[in-house]
Amino acid sequence: MESPFRTHPRLRWAVPVLAVVVVAGGISLGTVGASADNTLGPRTPQQLLVDVQQARLTGLSGTVVQTSDLGLPDLPGLGERSSDLMSPLTGSHTWRVWYAGPDKARLALVGTLGESDVIRNGRDVWVWSSDSKSATHYTLPADRSGPASGSTPTPAPSGGVPATPQQAAEAALAALDPTTEVTSPGTTTVAGRAAHELVLRPRQGGSLVQQVRIAVDGSQHVPLRVQVFSTRRAEPAFEVGFTSVDFAVPEDRQFTFTPPPGTTVTDKGSISSADKAAPGGTAPPKASGPGGAAGADAERPRVIGTGWASVIVADTGQALEASSSGSAGGSAPGDLDQLRGVLSGLPKVSGSWGSGRLFTGTLFSAVLTDDGRLAVGAVEPQRLYDALSSR
Amino acid sequence: MSAGEPMSGAAATLDRPAVPARGARRGLVARLLWSELALIGGRRRNQAGLAVLAAVPVIMAVSIKLSAEDEGGGGDLFSSITSNGLFVPLAALQVEIAMFLPLAMAMLAGDAIAGEANIGTLRYLLTVPVGRLRLLAVKYLSLCVGALWGVLTVAVTGAVIGIALFGVGPMTTLSGVQIDTASALWRLVLAIGYLSAGLAALGAVGLFISTLTEQPIAAAISVMIFTILSWILDAVPQLDWLHPWLLVHHWLAFADLLREPIFWDNLLTGLGVNALYAAVFWLAAWARFAGKDITS
Repeated sequence: MESPFRTHPRLRWAVPVLAVVVVAGGISLGTVGASADNTLGPRTPQQLLVDVQQARLTGLSGTVVQTSDLGLPDLPGLGERSSDLMSPLTGSHTWRVWYAGPDKARLALVGTLGESDVIRNGRDVWVWSSDSKSATHYTLPADRSGPASGSTPTPAPSGGVPATPQQAAEAALAALDPTTEVTSPGTTTVAGRAAHELVLRPRQGGSLVQQVRIAVDGSQHVPLRVQVFSTRRAEPAFEVGFTSVDFAVPEDRQFTFTPPPGTTVTDKGSISSADKAAPGGTAPPKASGPGGAAGADAERPRVIGTGWASVIVADTGQALEASSSGSAGGSAPGDLDQLRGVLSGLPKVSGSWGSGRLFTGTLFSAVLTDDGRLAVGAVEPQRLYDALSSR
Repeated sequence: MSAGEPMSGAAATLDRPAVPARGARRGLVARLLWSELALIGGRRRNQAGLAVLAAVPVIMAVSIKLSAEDEGGGGDLFSSITSNGLFVPLAALQVEIAMFLPLAMAMLAGDAIAGEANIGTLRYLLTVPVGRLRLLAVKYLSLCVGALWGVLTVAVTGAVIGIALFGVGPMTTLSGVQIDTASALWRLVLAIGYLSAGLAALGAVGLFISTLTEQPIAAAISVMIFTILSWILDAVPQLDWLHPWLLVHHWLAFADLLREPIFWDNLLTGLGVNALYAAVFWLAAWARFAGKDITS
């Protein structure tokens, strides 16, 4: 049995090497094989949009992995602890998701030795952080159902526009068409499930967004993955998607939360509709309105350009080098100093529009001028300069 | 005297040992394993090592008890110690898995082959009619038992001192949900098993290194360098593509046992990586050892 090894002793080394090859081969074959048994038929973008709207999701649980490579400078203190709810801005993060209808959802951010949870059950919303051992309780208003904390998009019933999902899909595609090319090139595999892909590609040049790919589950018609590709990277600059998903309705106990003893409990009471946007994270439909009204003297932000190449120009109301007393920010002086430190590390740029600091990320660029104007857009810096000089 | 002959070299007093009957051979393997474990357990340096491993949870628990009401500080497992004694073994494991437990493993692995060769007992061991394949299997099995031994020492000492000083009751998981004592104990048992598996995989690396040299110290230091290098690589964010393949990267995932419900994804990946390391390095140890000239 051992005879070939006896005559050629060096042949023995082939065995551990073979073990490595078999494992590596198994892993690559596993991914190829998984996408090979994808038997979904072709679907047009319109059909996909209709599918998504008609999806009736009763429940799911799973693991979501989110990676961002936005090219942000390292902010000390931001996302130091991997289970900090602010940390998703950088790096890779794992979320556990449970969903059982719009009023029952739980989201857990898994950190190395910690966890942050957001649990919604009926009108109660709990935010738990294992790092600070604190629990915060919010009560949602009874009359209207708030935004689900889950990742599932519940189409907002906007004032009686399209009557059927088909019409809504048509309207959406028609609205997108001038700026965006929408295609459904084929299928893919996400979390071991066959999925259709919907691809949005900007028609205009100048945008940093190369394409957005959305994978829609083949049988449940729920978006399983969103990838945003930058023109500057081969890998997605932002990606959020399931790595495992189960469409069975999770047990009720996943949504019950009682603060354990030894916890700092804060009761924030009921959330009025005014400050509702803060924890929910959903921007109100008319985005430019309330933001501009909040700043005392600040000029209303203007949008220059259209579609993917739009640039938002805002007046922050304070010059970069001037001292604090924040009118728009409202952040602590320590944060402001930190911000100034980060800003001074950014390259200085100047042109006919003035001078300032330039930030170039993978998905957006920003210029903060010395006189306090801020231009942001998912565009190359030149477009920002153009927008700033067209005041 | 060719390198291909497994029983060549000075040890080949018998050209080929008479192959005993199957049942007798199994008895021999068991006896060999037993004597190997007795040898490991009987060594003074190993007993001293176990005492050091056991001292860490005691020091931690006592100092936290003495400085009581000093909330916060340290990781989450630490800050929870005052609320439940069962966090003492868990926090001690978190601390010791970084350096002390791998060090203990490195010592045992260094002794396994290189130590025998160094004091000249390896050739006598090879006269036992069990064959090199089985001898290597016995050596690795004893390392696996050694890994469990070390982790159990930390966990049991920690649990005893923790329950004595802080009591025991429902445990607050990282998810903020409380679980009862029985299920908390079960999680501790799972953590012991998971970390032992990780150390046993390191033991395979150590066994391979141990076949390369006749100096047990050199082997032990090499295992420690391997461990420390892995931790360093794991801390470099630019190498994140490599991280899932590092042995140590998955060790701290034992904290996923403290979520409600248990988050298995990383634990299962970790066990898979352990198995991969164990298989590849055990086979490499075999490839080296089976054809090695044993002269001492």
